[in-house]
Amino acid sequence: MLSIHARQVLAKAVLPILILLAVGLVLLGLVRRPVVDGVRLMATDFMAPAYHGLVWPQERVMVWLTDLRGATDLAKENSRLRDENHALRHWYDVAVALAAENGRLKNSLHWIPETVPQYVTGRVTRDDGGPYSRAVLLDVGSGHQVRIGDVALDAAGFLGRVTEVGPHTVRVLLINDDASRIPVTLGTSHGDAIMAGDDTAAPRLIFYPQDHHPVEGERVETRGQSTMPAGLPVGTVHYTAPNRPVVVPDADLGRLDIVRVFDYGDDDSQAPDAPGRVRVKKLPQNPLSGPLPFSWMPNFPDMPGRGGQ
Amino acid sequence: MVAENSTPHLHSAVEPKQTFRRALDMSARAAMPSLFIMFCAILLSAPFGVPGQAQLQFGIAMCTVWFWAYSRPKSMPALAVFLNGLVVEIFSFGPPGAILLSLLVIYGVAHHWRYGLSRLGFLAGWLIFSVLAVLASCFQWALVCVHAVALLSPVPGLFQAALTIGIYPSLIALFVWGRRTFANPDQA
Repeated sequence: MLSIHARQVLAKAVLPILILLAVGLVLLGLVRRPVVDGVRLMATDFMAPAYHGLVWPQERVMVWLTDLRGATDLAKENSRLRDENHALRHWYDVAVALAAENGRLKNSLHWIPETVPQYVTGRVTRDDGGPYSRAVLLDVGSGHQVRIGDVALDAAGFLGRVTEVGPHTVRVLLINDDASRIPVTLGTSHGDAIMAGDDTAAPRLIFYPQDHHPVEGERVETRGQSTMPAGLPVGTVHYTAPNRPVVVPDADLGRLDIVRVFDYGDDDSQAPDAPGRVRVKKLPQNPLSGPLPFSWMPNFPDMPGRGGQ
Repeated sequence: MVAENSTPHLHSAVEPKQTFRRALDMSARAAMPSLFIMFCAILLSAPFGVPGQAQLQFGIAMCTVWFWAYSRPKSMPALAVFLNGLVVEIFSFGPPGAILLSLLVIYGVAHHWRYGLSRLGFLAGWLIFSVLAVLASCFQWALVCVHAVALLSPVPGLFQAALTIGIYPSLIALFVWGRRTFANPDQA
């Protein structure tokens, strides 16, 4: 048994020791952030079924409310749906005609078909943003092939990229996170730009050509780069102030539910060697490691300053 | 201790018989503040889509540790604060260690000044807590800036501090009631 004095000393030392441990965790987070995030992902994997149970009542209430709202305004809703159906039929005919034309043109051009991307669909387990970041965790089940850098889309458009992968769960950094930088192409002005998240609902457009400013309302699509394909719908340009274009995302970032993660594979296409390119010869690691081969020679003719002609 | 004298009528010469069930009940009542923090941390990490969920995690943990550290330290020892902080850290995705360190610091302040704080009025206690909540949010903001290697907007941190200060009165009312009833080990 410890003496009373020893116990008092121990009691006083507990808090400083715990504070030191907490400082250690802060430092660990600074130098080895993936270790901490890995533990958090494991905890989320473990809690995923409980999360589904927790949000189930809320989902049911939302469904009932939607039904109730529809039931109170049936005539107006029917009229709206009829108009929408009519418009959709028109667009369906246009889409079929364009698809047929596209097929014919590709056929005549001997177009090499693009690879079909692999994808998994997952439900958002948790909104794991916090005060300073915008990210979600997806439950994609076991045995998935998701990799870091894969793109995530909801029903309407591009919403982010995978940053961490766990056994059952993946973390998707949303396009409005402060750390998100996505290369995009503008539909009408055909300029390239970078879409930078700033923790608001609409990410900013930066690094666009100064002679081709983005046009209000034009479409924004992804620009092809390594694992990200070109042409994924992102949103539309909107000016919140002069010279401050932002992208209004197509995806509903505030209320994500079902999300698909696409794996477009590595961009392993190597550019052919350009004519005239000189391959740099690698020097040996340790050129002067051993004794010089000519040191024992009494008169070496090629050695500079030693009897050269 | 301060709060142990709040129910003097229970400290009579005739004590109830110490049974296993009573010991279990007393432990559960003493652990109630810690269980509350853990339950809220897990509940608020679920995808309800409620604005300010992550900020509430921080606010509830801060208020709970602050109140119980000066009101009944036996229900909130330093080790429990550390474990609670770890649970909140695991179920949040902020800069690692920021919430844990803030909780330990606010525990240290509350525990060290518990006699003075018990004598202070509600408003003075709220004011001191508000200053600490703002400092903790600023520390978290500074850590996020270091992680991002950029100067981020401090507005989310200030919102977190405002939310923490805002929920303080209602939570303290709940805890004052809980200290007399369901979280009082003497009533086991």
